[in-house]
Amino acid sequence: MMNNYYDVVVVGGGAIGCGVAYQLSKKGLDVALVERGDIASGTSSHCDAVALICDKKPGIDTTMGYQSILMYKKFAKEFSYDFEFRQRGSLYVCETDQEMDEAEKYVKQQQADGYDMRMVDNYEMGQMEPYLAKDLVGGIWTEPDSSMSPYKLCYAYVEEGKKNRLKVYDRHTVKEIKRDEKGAVEGVETDKGVLKTKKVVNCGGPWAAALGEMVGIHIPIKPRKGVILISEKSFKVINQKVHEFGYMLSKFEDINYKRNVSERVEMHNVAFAIEPTEANNFLLGGHREFKGFDISTEIDVVRAIAERGIRFFPIIKEINCIRAYAGVRPYVEDHLPIVSEVEEVPGYYIAAGHEGDGISLSAITGRMMMQIITGEETDFDISKLKFSRYKKS
Amino acid sequence: MSEYKDDDILVCRCEEVTLGDIKEAIRQGARDVTGVKRRTRAGMGLCQGRTCEKLVQQILKAELGNLPEEISAGTPRTPVRPVTFGALGGSGNDE
Repeated sequence: MMNNYYDVVVVGGGAIGCGVAYQLSKKGLDVALVERGDIASGTSSHCDAVALICDKKPGIDTTMGYQSILMYKKFAKEFSYDFEFRQRGSLYVCETDQEMDEAEKYVKQQQADGYDMRMVDNYEMGQMEPYLAKDLVGGIWTEPDSSMSPYKLCYAYVEEGKKNRLKVYDRHTVKEIKRDEKGAVEGVETDKGVLKTKKVVNCGGPWAAALGEMVGIHIPIKPRKGVILISEKSFKVINQKVHEFGYMLSKFEDINYKRNVSERVEMHNVAFAIEPTEANNFLLGGHREFKGFDISTEIDVVRAIAERGIRFFPIIKEINCIRAYAGVRPYVEDHLPIVSEVEEVPGYYIAAGHEGDGISLSAITGRMMMQIITGEETDFDISKLKFSRYKKS
Repeated sequence: MSEYKDDDILVCRCEEVTLGDIKEAIRQGARDVTGVKRRTRAGMGLCQGRTCEKLVQQILKAELGNLPEEISAGTPRTPVRPVTFGALGGSGNDE
């Protein structure tokens, strides 16, 4: 039964792998999706739930984010499985005049590129978010920004894919990528049998490097941890995603600016981010640290996240936290995903390295990978996403 | 196959998840407690599965005949019981 031939074997059942498998199956290709655990059991169920453009850098990063949001809007209407897509917008808040200056420069660039983003003052922010701390200078309002359930998104892709004969091999661990005498891909060996194929897509997220080693290539992706706290169900504390502009500083190392925060917050690289869920809980983050694949929820990090959350929404002091969880993001140094063929291994493709943007970018990533594999022209220039960029220097 | 017949019975009281919801999650591919949790919210509520986890395990066993280690259990996480964000993030140990 496992000896069927597939046009493409996608490895990794997270948002990216499911998105790629869906797009390829929709083109009429015979696709197998291999996942060592359950669908959405890695990063895509240990993350937050947003698709944003306001946390992207101007240029291709934002283009991909925006195209993805447009696709999710369409998927939400077409798919039979509800992945709770909501377009609520998002609010970036600035603590200081210096942050406001940086934010204004950023917004001007994005507006020049045609994106619906604008500055709001303290008064308008108070109207949008009545429980927000009153001493903040202002912020950025981004109307297109959206949210969805990350694991339901994966289930939705799989359910749609199955309508196009997508075959799901969950609880199958990849042991080896089989290659012919010329080095080209000819199969994927799992712990339960071999899948024959000439094309394999590595959608391993933080685990993509190990799948690269199987064909002797070095994929420079490493796990970057994040801890998130979940509240009990409560009254409506927030109406949309709210985060501090300092979040950009925690995400991109090349921005030089130091916040006035406690040692604990500074040490764990915690930047305030909060978002509502469809079940009336809220998720409170955000945190970025290199800790290998350890996803324990250290109490000191939990305390730092709570502390930073209270600074922006003092009212949450009285609300209960019911759970903390952690996941690992697939980090790459230049903050752009790898969506590419691998020249040295014919038939081997990579769609990974999205760091915290896998949910945000799964739709457009699926489309780009489908275009690469079928030889269609891509919607925009994606040469910056090539794996070969790591060979230069 | 299953001895559990009444699909309207509430299994997870916190999130109001019924037996029928859990059977549907199993049909969609859930094979363990966490798989059921993600597909139905059973165990995501205030008690974090303390009440329903054993029931979910029994339903999985009845539907699939799996071994206990396959069915597994939810991942225990901080905090042990609900605690205010103020107690976690307040200055000093004032709570």
